[in-house]
Amino acid sequence: MHETVTLAITKSAAALSRALGRGGGHALPGLIAERIDPKLIRKLASRLPHGIILVTGTNGKTTSTKLIAAALEASGERVLTNSTGSNLVRGVTSALIRAADIHGTIDATIGLFEVDEANLRLVAPDLQPQHIVVLNLFRDQLDRYGELDTTAAMIGQGIAATKAKVYLNADDALVASLARYAASPDLVSYFGIEELPLKAPTPHQAATDSDRCPLCGERMKFSQVFYSHLGHYECPTGDYSRPQPDVSIAHVDGADLEGARFEVAIGGKRSEVSFSLPGTYNLYNALAAISLTAGLGIEQSVTAKTLETTEAAFGRLEKVRLDGRTLYVLLIKNPVGFTQVLDTFLIGRPNLRVLMAVNDLAADSRDVSWLWDVPLEALAQSRPKVITAGTRGADVALRLHYAGTEAEVATSLEDAVTELVRDTPPGGGAYILPTYTAMLQIRKLLARRTQLQDV
Amino acid sequence: MTKLRIAHLYPRELNTYGDLGNIITLVKRLEWRGYEAEVLNVERGEPFDFSGADLVFGGGGQDSVQVAMGEDLCRRGEELRQLVSDGVPMLLICGSYQLFGRAFTTVARRVVPGIGVFGAETTGSSRRLVGNIAVDSPFGRLIGFENHSGETVLEPGQAALGTVRMGFGNNSTSGKEGAISGNAIGTYMHGPLLPKNPALADHLLLSALSRRHGVEELEPLNDELEHLTARVAASRPRGPSGRGPAALHRPNRLHHTAS
Repeated sequence: MHETVTLAITKSAAALSRALGRGGGHALPGLIAERIDPKLIRKLASRLPHGIILVTGTNGKTTSTKLIAAALEASGERVLTNSTGSNLVRGVTSALIRAADIHGTIDATIGLFEVDEANLRLVAPDLQPQHIVVLNLFRDQLDRYGELDTTAAMIGQGIAATKAKVYLNADDALVASLARYAASPDLVSYFGIEELPLKAPTPHQAATDSDRCPLCGERMKFSQVFYSHLGHYECPTGDYSRPQPDVSIAHVDGADLEGARFEVAIGGKRSEVSFSLPGTYNLYNALAAISLTAGLGIEQSVTAKTLETTEAAFGRLEKVRLDGRTLYVLLIKNPVGFTQVLDTFLIGRPNLRVLMAVNDLAADSRDVSWLWDVPLEALAQSRPKVITAGTRGADVALRLHYAGTEAEVATSLEDAVTELVRDTPPGGGAYILPTYTAMLQIRKLLARRTQLQDV
Repeated sequence: MTKLRIAHLYPRELNTYGDLGNIITLVKRLEWRGYEAEVLNVERGEPFDFSGADLVFGGGGQDSVQVAMGEDLCRRGEELRQLVSDGVPMLLICGSYQLFGRAFTTVARRVVPGIGVFGAETTGSSRRLVGNIAVDSPFGRLIGFENHSGETVLEPGQAALGTVRMGFGNNSTSGKEGAISGNAIGTYMHGPLLPKNPALADHLLLSALSRRHGVEELEPLNDELEHLTARVAASRPRGPSGRGPAALHRPNRLHHTAS
């Protein structure tokens, strides 16, 4: 079918879907295009003059994509991105279709998409990206993909279908081992952290998947662990060790809830960076952005400037003012992410008021057993006031009960938010930790009562 | 103080889907009643004296570690079979359950020998059986979450843990879940299993306490929250597709996939 006709049909379907109130129409155009012109995506993708960047990995996709987009824009690019976090095949293809006019012209110079780990291999052959960033591999929604080795192999297939330059986290052994899928060794760039001032305050939980050698399966030795299985490793058999990063954080000079200052080394060149997001996990997101933009030849000072001012992505660390209180919304979706949120924001702080909202819808994970892999025991010493909610609010309360904290199970998210605000003195702050769909519901609730924009 | 020793099999390798929650539950339910708990990790390649173990727990793992753990476990097979005949309570979930059977054949047709505590054979398949699961057992209705590609078939004479009311269980056709030999229980139920099923947790603890210390009954605990989570889990959609409410009867798929 003619390209213009396909575009006309898919674009009006999206508009109709929005008009009928059937959601944002984010995925529908992609779905239709798949049916009537499977080559459309390949054609549209090839029209972006500076090509396409894909970002994948378990945690940090949305934040890294946002940081990269800011740096690209600051360097003069017009960036096409799937910024709403719609990161399955249809979300990516729909973003391309929405951006195209009826003649297939796209008003952007470069495409930047976050892609779900299992979907990379489905989009990479058509998009033919020039750059692929792989952040990390943690346990996440194992009910969808089976096991971590399987997920790594799926990403590998995606890389192998391209001639892209790949940017890999050197501190994650399984991710670093994906270098073998690159079209040639000189298309691999590693990023990593050399040193952190403080080690993770929560004890190393049993639940690490990737402390084994990706080549021989032997348990590796770690000289440093930054969090979960990220650190400096070496296989005792000598067949595999952490590759030397091309781009690294040489040392961190200060880190608190407002962010971090660190020195970055690119090749032999060192420079200072002030970064606006807190937490070790966000250091890796910054590093991914620095690594990628360096690969594109963007001046480090341009990237550094955007890292100083970029705010957290949708639901990842949103500050919402409500009736004189500050509510921090922090997405939780898997044990490692939840643990990082605990370490960065909650552990050791007095007068904690927390709402944990856990849903088990398909986009969250039907299985909520991952809550038991989070070291919530560390929270008990702060004697926090905790309310739980969501379809599995009771499960969180039970997990907390066994971790030494008695929580209250709210009957609805709305009641939970109301109660959280009531328990927080004016001028005070409280934390909301939702899973993905609970985050969307809570943003809707908050949007009704605050300046927060509903998306 | 009266103390129980819990042997935890390969905690770093066999720990998927929150299986650690079972250890946390056993320990806390002992401590809340004034008993002491000591968890001893059984590590691959390291000596372990099972004679002091009052309870044995093993969780599930990724397929990649199954072979290595199987080899190590077989070296301890005789000792573990002796514990079973001595009546030591055991809970073995998913990967451990498979390795406590006669053999596990991977998708790649590699045969991993088990230690034969259960008369059960497992074959890996390319299809995963995933979702909330409810099973009627001698310990009441158990609620969990299953996620396995192995299909386990029990030999004639091997008792199952129970009958599946929702979900798959041992395989996609038999309608039975798990196995029970003496005080050793094998099951596919994660969730984790014990927090939502305190009666089973207490059964394991009482068996161990009675064997070691002659304890005859356990002080009851307030299990309202435990029962609430079990009720909630049973009312949620069964699997990832989210199709249909979780009615507490055998799902249609169980019959349709038999052919």
